[in-house]
Order: sequence, then structure tokens, then C-alpha cells
Amino acid sequence: MAVEPSRVEKLRKKQINGQSMKRLVEAGMIWLRTNQQTVNALNVFPVPDGDTGTNMVLTMQSAWNEIKDLGYRGISDMANAVSKGALMGARGNSGVILSQLWRGFARGVQGKDVMDGPTFAKAFAEARDTAYRGVVRPVEGTILTVAREVAEATETGLKSTQDAIDILEIAVKAADKAVQKTPELLPVLKQAGVVDSGGKGLFFILEGMLRHVYGESLETPLMSVQPISNMQLHNAMEDVEEGQDYEVVVDFMPSDNFELQKFYGRLEEMGTSIQVGEGEGMYRMHIHVPLEKRYEPIDYIMGLGTITKVAMENLLAQMDDIEKSKAARISFAPVEPGQIAVVVVSPGAGLSRIFASLGVAAVVEGGQTMNPSTQDILNSFENFPTDKVIILPNNKNIIMAANQAKDVTVKQVAVVPSRTVPQGLAAMLSLQPDGELDSVAEKMTKALSAIQTGEITVATRTVEIDGVNVKNGEVIALLDGKLVASAGSVEEACFKLLEKAKADEHELITLFYGQDTPHAEANRIADEIREKYGDQEIEVQEGGQPHYQFIISVE
Amino acid sequence: MGEETTSLGGIHISPNAVATIAYHATLQSYGVVGLAPRNLADGLVKTITRDPSRGVSVNYNGEVLDIEIHIIVEYGTRINSVAESVANTVRFQVEKALGLKVNSINVHVAGLRVSNTD
Repeated sequence: MAVEPSRVEKLRKKQINGQSMKRLVEAGMIWLRTNQQTVNALNVFPVPDGDTGTNMVLTMQSAWNEIKDLGYRGISDMANAVSKGALMGARGNSGVILSQLWRGFARGVQGKDVMDGPTFAKAFAEARDTAYRGVVRPVEGTILTVAREVAEATETGLKSTQDAIDILEIAVKAADKAVQKTPELLPVLKQAGVVDSGGKGLFFILEGMLRHVYGESLETPLMSVQPISNMQLHNAMEDVEEGQDYEVVVDFMPSDNFELQKFYGRLEEMGTSIQVGEGEGMYRMHIHVPLEKRYEPIDYIMGLGTITKVAMENLLAQMDDIEKSKAARISFAPVEPGQIAVVVVSPGAGLSRIFASLGVAAVVEGGQTMNPSTQDILNSFENFPTDKVIILPNNKNIIMAANQAKDVTVKQVAVVPSRTVPQGLAAMLSLQPDGELDSVAEKMTKALSAIQTGEITVATRTVEIDGVNVKNGEVIALLDGKLVASAGSVEEACFKLLEKAKADEHELITLFYGQDTPHAEANRIADEIREKYGDQEIEVQEGGQPHYQFIISVE
Repeated sequence: MGEETTSLGGIHISPNAVATIAYHATLQSYGVVGLAPRNLADGLVKTITRDPSRGVSVNYNGEVLDIEIHIIVEYGTRINSVAESVANTVRFQVEKALGLKVNSINVHVAGLRVSNTD
């Protein structure tokens, strides 16, 4: 990456003001985020502080969120805001230390409008002092050591320069050196053959700032080669850049003189979102390129070694699909002040849509294997313009979280303890938005018992419950939460279930088919049921729930 | 507590040993500036006897190991994160050193220390 000397010279003459500080913080955050996996990979043990890189990124993001909408401010105010944001978002050990560093930094530039070299160095010194005050027995060979050595180096550096950019350069160099030294200070790092992760994270923040000054790219990790299994190729969908329409993924075996640095450099000229993964001598390259350049990466790699696989996808077409699915978004009933609003927990998109059509005001996603938290439920209705809320948990494991949400909020909340989705649907039919909260909730609770719920799923282990023997992998039928039958096929389970539910004495059978059940399959089974239960009405609805092939209501 | 019998004899780990490990792990946690005795009497006794586990109490009922830690936190740190990291560090160190499964760790923030105002 070429450095434009003129640009840096221009910056050199200037002091760092609040706006440039803001850009520096952003650059530090982006560069850290780009190298997040590298930092995460440095963890010596699974705990404590599992994902240092992630924790530090979240902390920096919180700091950035605090300042990103700020208009012109002096450096003192800007640093205070960064410090506040970092404190609020501090995650994990390394995040807390990082927030303390920012707090000290803010103290160092207190009352200043702009920052010159000496102020910068003073801020580093304050950052170090504040961070060290936060612990009784500082462990050396960590982020603290790196902060200390940076502060010392910049203090010494003042003898030769007064320039802020020079000081930043000195800081980055010192951080790099200190990080390399951490294994000597902390035996556990040496054993694991890594450098300290928190220290490395701090280095990336500082280096990101310097790269911004140099005008270097912040989005592409320099030398990061990750295990192929770690590559997340489909996470970058939201930020497809204008004109970068094609995603190209190439697997290849490079010949002997493969130079990663050069490889990256050449790829950067072609496109964006570059990722390179490595495993057992194989490399995988991922890049986003414009239409006319879509064969260029392949041609280029062809010269580097043997290509084993090429995949190319049109991102714009994918984006269209995403847009379409957005269009299929569910529209909820508007909440009027004073009326009762209903919040439901729904395990699938189809069921959410059915609930919406019955007049619920919000859906919290969740179900058997994914219980929403009290906070999730709370968030769904806290902003409603009404203070009367009914919650339908639709799962026995979520009733407690719903009750907790009721205890925490200032709104009047009633929990109608629906244990299954069909119960929830039955309850919705008794909703009167204009009624008294308590009496409506009571009516809805009564409606729960008017319906029977069947669930069809596959057993995940071999057991005997309620006198029914089940082998792992068999299809099982649950009626109102109780295991009633096991069967070799989904249809057989459906029939056994309907028999137990005495479906022939009821009027309506509704089948909600799950996300793994094809529509045609659901219709076929419904036809078979129709043949046997001629007097009953059979309905088929898309439920979209995971794990359960069918949820069946009998009423 | 922590009984284990090998062909050479028995191994017995006292609650004090657990407490000492927890104490040192806590003091190395970032954001913790001290441990607090649970009450005055306890504080006096532990000061006089130079007990190395002031502010840590260990309960072991033969099956589950529960640890209570009373800490003083540096003012201006995110207390939630500090307490969480104390619990993580202590659990990790105790389990690593003794091979005992820790059931619960309760971290009580007994106070804050203000080293300087900003």
C-alpha cells in the first residue's frame, strides 16, 4: 500500500482536533473489527474472557455510537464522549480495561480544544495511570503492559518531536514491540505459543488510527489467513458495495512461491470484501467484484497454482431475493392508546403471519429450542402507546419469562398462560381490544381449554415415557404436551394422534406444517386425513416452525 | 471436603484452599481494588489470624461447591462486567487448580473506591 507523502505531510502540520479525533476512533474501531478473528484466535484458554476480540470490538462500537452523531466538538468533549460510550458498552475483562484507558485518555486531554504531540503523550500517560489504578495485582504481559510501554515510549519520543502524528507512529511501534514481548512476561502465553490477545487488540486500535492517517485500507485484514471452516462468506450480504455485483469464491492449491502479501495487494485492485482462508495446504479466496471483472480473480489465481473449485454468484440477484422476503414482512395491528395490545411468542414465520391476521400487535420470535428472554418480551411492548398488554407465551417454558416481564414493567400486563400455539390462536379469537384487561384475559384463558394441541416431531433419544416406548429417530406424537404415540412415519403419527384426541367427536382439524415439511407433503397428508375424517373440516396452514413437522389443533 | 482416594492414600482439599485460590484470582481480576469482609467480626478475626481469604467464603455440602466473594470495585468501571469477569476468572482458576466443579459463584459488590474524580 503506497503512502502518499504529501497527504501525511499536510496532516503533520496540523494538530488533531475533535473531528479528526472522531475519525481516528472510527478507524481504530474498524481496523480492530477487521482483525477481530485474529485477536479471538489468540485466546489461551476458553475462559475467562472468551472472545477478547469480540469484547473489545463491542466496547469500541459502543464508544463510536456515542460520538458518531456528534457535531463539531473540541477534543476534550469528544474524548469524554468516547470514554462514556466505552464505559457503557464495556464487555469482558479486556473491554473494561479498554474503557479505563479511554477514561484516562479523556482526562489527559481535559480542557483542550486540539491535541498536539505533548498532549497526546500526556493522554497516553493518563490512560496508563488510570488503567493501572483499577487493579490490585496487575498481571504483566497483558494489555496493561502494552499501555504502559506505549506511554513510556511516547514520553521519551517528545524529546525528538512535538508532532501528534509522530507520537502516534511512536505509539504504534511501541505497542507492536510490547505485544511481541508479552510471552516473555506471561508464561501461559509462551506455553500456548501466542501473544496477549488484549494487547494485540489495543495494538490494532492504534494501528488503525495510523492507517487512517496514511490513507490505507481498513477493511481488509493484512495477513489474516483463517482456517477455512471459520470463513463466513454469507455474512457480508447487507453491505454489498455499489458496482460490486459478483461474489467469486475460488479454492486453490498454490505453488511453492506463494506470497500472501502480494496476493492481497493484487486482489485489492480487483474488488472488495476480500477474505482468504487456509487449511491443509488448500486456500480459499473470497472477493466481491464488478460484473466486467468477474473472471479476473480466477485468471489471476490460475497463474498462482492449481484451482480446484470456483463458485460465482450474482449478488444483485441475491439482494433482490432479500428485498422480496422483506416485502413479505408481516404487518401487525396498530396499537391504539387505551386499547389492549397483545404480544405473542411465535416459533415460525407462518404462525406469526396467522397471529398478525388475528390482530396481535407484536411477535417475539422463539419456541421450544429458542426461549426468548424477559428482556426480549419486554422490548416488544415497552414502546406501545397503551398501558394494557396481554402476553401469550405459547410455550410452557416461556410462561415464566412472560410473568417476569409483567413484574418488571410499569404497564398493566396480563399473561394468558397458553402452552401451545393452537391455544394461543384460540385465545386470540376471544380478544376484545376495547374491554377491561382482567375480564378479557380471563375470557382468553378460558378459551385455552377449548382446544387440543397435537405436535408431531422426531425423537432425539430413546426413552419410555407415559408407557410409550420411543426409539431415537422415530416420529412421535404429543397431545397437549403428553407423549401419546410413536410411529415409523409422520402420517402414521398424525393418525394415531387424531385417534387419541378423539378427532371424530370434534369439528375442525388444523394442520400447521413446519419449515422442514414441504407444502405438497402437508397437502398429501391432509388429503389422507380428509378421507378418514369425512365429517370434520380439515385446514392446512403454513406454520414455519422448526423441529416440529406438524402442529395440529383439534377443536 | 473434596475427598479423593487413590492407591497411595487419600487427598483432602479444605475449603480454605479453595478460598485462597479464589482470593488470589479475584485480586488479579481487572477492576477489583480489594475484598471486603462480610461483617465487622469476620473482618477482625481474619485480620488477626492473617487469614489469606478475607472476603471469600466457601460452602461445600459434599456435592456442590458454592463460593461467595465480596469485592470493592474501582469507581468508573462497568461494575457488571467487572463482577462477571471475577466470577469467570475464579471459576476457571478453581476448576483448573483443584479439578472440582464449581456450582455457583456469587459476587457481592460491597463498595466502590473513588481514586480521583473526573
